[in-house]
Formats: sequence, C-alpha cells, structure tokens
Amino acid sequence: MKQNFLFQASNISKYYGQNIGCKNVSLDINPGEVLGIVGESGSGKSTLLNCIYGNLEVDEGDIFLNDKSKTILNFTKISEPKLRLIQRSDLAFVHQNPRDGLRMNISAGGNIGERLMAIGHRNYGEIREIAANWLEKVEIDVSRIDDKPSTFSGGMQQRLQIARNLVTRPRLIFMDEPTGGLDVSVQAKILDLLRNLVRELGIAAVIVTHDLAVVRLLADRIIVMQNGNVIEAGLCDQVLDDPQHKYSQLLVSSVLQV
Amino acid sequence: MNEMSKNENLDIQIYNFAYLDENTKRMIRRALLKALCIPGYQVPFSSREMPMPYGWGTGGIQVTSACLIPKDVLKVIDQGADDTTNAVSIRKFFQKTANVAVTEKTSDASLIQTRHRIPETKLKEKQILVYQVPIPEPLRFLEPREVETRKMHALSEYGLMYVKLYEDIAKHGHIETAYAYPVKTNGNYVTDPSPIPKFDNPKMNNSPAIQLFGAGREQRIYAIPPYTNVKSLDFEDYPFEAMKANFKCSICGSSDSYLDEIIVSDDGKRSYICSDTDYCKEQTKLNSKKED
Repeated sequence: MKQNFLFQASNISKYYGQNIGCKNVSLDINPGEVLGIVGESGSGKSTLLNCIYGNLEVDEGDIFLNDKSKTILNFTKISEPKLRLIQRSDLAFVHQNPRDGLRMNISAGGNIGERLMAIGHRNYGEIREIAANWLEKVEIDVSRIDDKPSTFSGGMQQRLQIARNLVTRPRLIFMDEPTGGLDVSVQAKILDLLRNLVRELGIAAVIVTHDLAVVRLLADRIIVMQNGNVIEAGLCDQVLDDPQHKYSQLLVSSVLQV
Repeated sequence: MNEMSKNENLDIQIYNFAYLDENTKRMIRRALLKALCIPGYQVPFSSREMPMPYGWGTGGIQVTSACLIPKDVLKVIDQGADDTTNAVSIRKFFQKTANVAVTEKTSDASLIQTRHRIPETKLKEKQILVYQVPIPEPLRFLEPREVETRKMHALSEYGLMYVKLYEDIAKHGHIETAYAYPVKTNGNYVTDPSPIPKFDNPKMNNSPAIQLFGAGREQRIYAIPPYTNVKSLDFEDYPFEAMKANFKCSICGSSDSYLDEIIVSDDGKRSYICSDTDYCKEQTKLNSKKED
C-alpha cells in the first residue's frame, strides 16, 4: 500500500439482493486530486459514491482514509460515532438536489454554521463572520445571510450547499451530479467556482456525473462505469481523447456538438 | 352529607390505590429508576390510556400515580396556580382514587405535579417534582426522524440544537426562545425541560428535589436526580439569561417572582400578578405582618 494516498477503496462490492450495485471497484485518490466517475444512468456511480462516503454499508471490500494525523482508518471497521465525526470534519458530500443537502427552513447563515457548531464552535459572532465570508466566496450577496434557501434560485442553492460543505475545510469532497438539473449558464458558473475552490484550498474531490464536459473541466483522472463494473480508468484527457473500451468510445462519441 | 361521604368511600373501593393497577405502577417505577440512573435520557414506557385526554397531563399523572404512597401530601399546579382547571381536576382525581392529603403550600408538599412552572419557593430534599411533558424530544422540530434524533443523543451530536439558537439571534438579535429552553443534563444529554419559562431554568440546576418528567402521548419518561448539574445552552457571546416581565406583582408587590400579564380593561390596561399563587399568598401574608 502506498503511504502518501489520501483515500483508497479496494475491491468494493455492493449488491441489492440479486442485483449488482457495484462490483469489485478499486480506486485511490491522492491529496488535492479530482477524480471523475462517469457512466450511464444505473451504472452504479451513485451507489459507489455512497459506499465510499460511508452512507451505504459495503458487502465486500475495504475503504481507507489517511486522516489528518496520518493514521490510516478503515471505514468498514471503525465505530459509527467515529465515522460520523469523520464525515462531518474530513469529508463532505454535495447532493445533486440542494434540497437534500440543505435545511430549507433555516437561514443561509445557519446552514453554513451548522457544521461549525457540530464540531464545537460556540461563538455566535465568529460563526456569523465565517458564514459571511463563505457567502462571499460562493458569490452570494452577504445581505442574503438571514434569508432561507427556499427564497434562493437553484444555482444559488447549489452554491450555498457547496459553501456549507466546505466551511469546515474537508480534505475530500464527494459530489453527486453537482450541476445536474441546472441550466447551462448556471452550470458553467458553478463549475468555475468549484474549480477555483478545489484548486485554491487543495481539496481532493470525487465527482459523479454523466456529463463528460464536467469531468473534462474538473477532473484529473476518471473512471468509466457500466453495469456496476469499472470498464476503463486513467488520466482524464487520455480516456476522453483515446477511449479503449467499446462503451467508453460510445460515450465519448455520443456527446452532442453545438 | 352522610349519604355523600358514603358514596365517596364507595368510589375509593372501586379503584386500585392511585387509579393504576400495581403491575402498571411497577412498570413505570422501573422506567423511573432507569431514568434516574441516566439523567436526561428518555426512557420509553408503555403509557396507558388515562380517563382524560392527551395533553391534560396523562404522562405526569401516570408518574405521580406510580410514586404516590398513602402518607404523601400532594400539590398540583398548572402554570404556577393551584386553582386552574387542570390543577383542580388532577388534584380531585388523586383525592378520589388515592385519598391522599392535598395542600397548596409548596413547603408542605411531598409530591408536586406541575404543568409549565417550577414553584418559587425553594424545593427541599425528599420532595418530588413531577412535570407534565407535551414533547420530550428537544430536537423534534429540528430533526423529524426519531431514529436519527436517538442516534444524535447517543453520539452527543448537538450542533443542530445550536443552529436553533443561532437562528433566534439572527432573527431577533437575542435568543428569543422563552420557554422549553433546552438544557444539558449532567454534561451529557440535551433535555427538554417541558414548557417552563426560561426564568425557571436555573432552579433545575443542583436542585435538592427529585425531578421526574412524564410524557403520556409520546410514551417517554426522563428524570433529573437531586444535585445534578443542569446547564442552559448558550453561545459564548450570547450567554443564557433568565428573564421575566420587568414589573412588580400588583397583589403582593414581589419583583422577583415570575409574572402573568393580565389585560384588565377594554382599552388594554395591563396588570401583572405572580403566576405562583401559593408564593403570592405567602408574600401578601408577610407584607401584612410587616405592616402590623
């Protein structure tokens, strides 16, 4: 096993009864690296993401995280309190639908502050200042700090969700179709924002998407999935420019050109 | 007169002592013991149908019923008052079913059942205070999933509780929560103190009396044993403040007891009186003695 990795999953399998969720998937992520997972609907992308985040219990395989103190933790072995602590400090999860990741009846400031308060911040002034800073970073007007996310547009909600997740400076962020369901210009804005934040803060990321343009823009490496299996993996440009597997070729060739 | 007392005796014979049967009381006592061992932890119990609707204190009544012994002196208050509907009906219920002595004096009572107040008179050792609790789960309106809230309690994940206080300050400039103000019991479980005004929160801390909480509809019992640390949650820069209306009682003149606001005329004139009727009477008596 390499020593400088951040996150590693080896031979992950997840079954839904007779059906395969994902099978024998291995991946590793280095600090600051962005990994894209692409594939068609139902290919097991989200299952894999939820498994490696610790939301879903895996049937086979191990998941390792090299934590801040350089100890290697195995997600399948550690206790639930420990896992939940890691999920809200070292890791973060951005949902496709911001409604799943935000508390809609709590103000934008409260949404950003929640993770801070969860790890022990008890000073209102400080929490509010940090929240205001993050709103600025994700280009939401600071005067909206006390407004509820339900009054925000879809793009703003997604940016708020990103701020809420990044506020505790996680080292690895999981994103499930972060730009799905948004119109193209808003998508571009969010991608731009994500690219800047990820590079600036040196956060590693795993992005699940069916949009090849998104991975082209953000990812360093990608894996291509079909029917729960990884069929191709490699550097992003390499796979997208010279796909080897039949399905990857189909995927790349079916991107619509304007 | 003779006829009537005969009838009352008949009524007493119909019911087991304090209404509930002995097995039920044993079940509740077991839950109470567990609750006392783990301060602030909500113990599920098999709440019974009581001869009154939910919301009338069925949880508190079951706890009282399980604790009562024949030589107990019972006091029942509703919002601090001994003479309001809820207090009167529950007091009558136990007079009828347990034939125990009743009192309005806080210092004379060995068991006090209360709705939404803690008496002003300091409680002593060997007194039991039974709270009627509508919603035992302090996280209920923040996290609707019961499975999740139990997990949050088990893992002491209370960040969300602070989000509520944050929202208060963001909206109102101060912590607006004025009743059912969440507390941390024995440095561990966050507990709902039932809807007592936050003015009463400091009285829960280090109290010599046993504090028992019964929620009938929600089927939960929890407890704070005597001399337990009870801390109201707050922020470093917005510390907890016990507050009350800044007036004097217009009957006894007391300025340090919790006051009810009463509108006394059509043009909106207000008057303030002690919510604790027993305390108000005591103060009035003291005042008249001083004048003599």
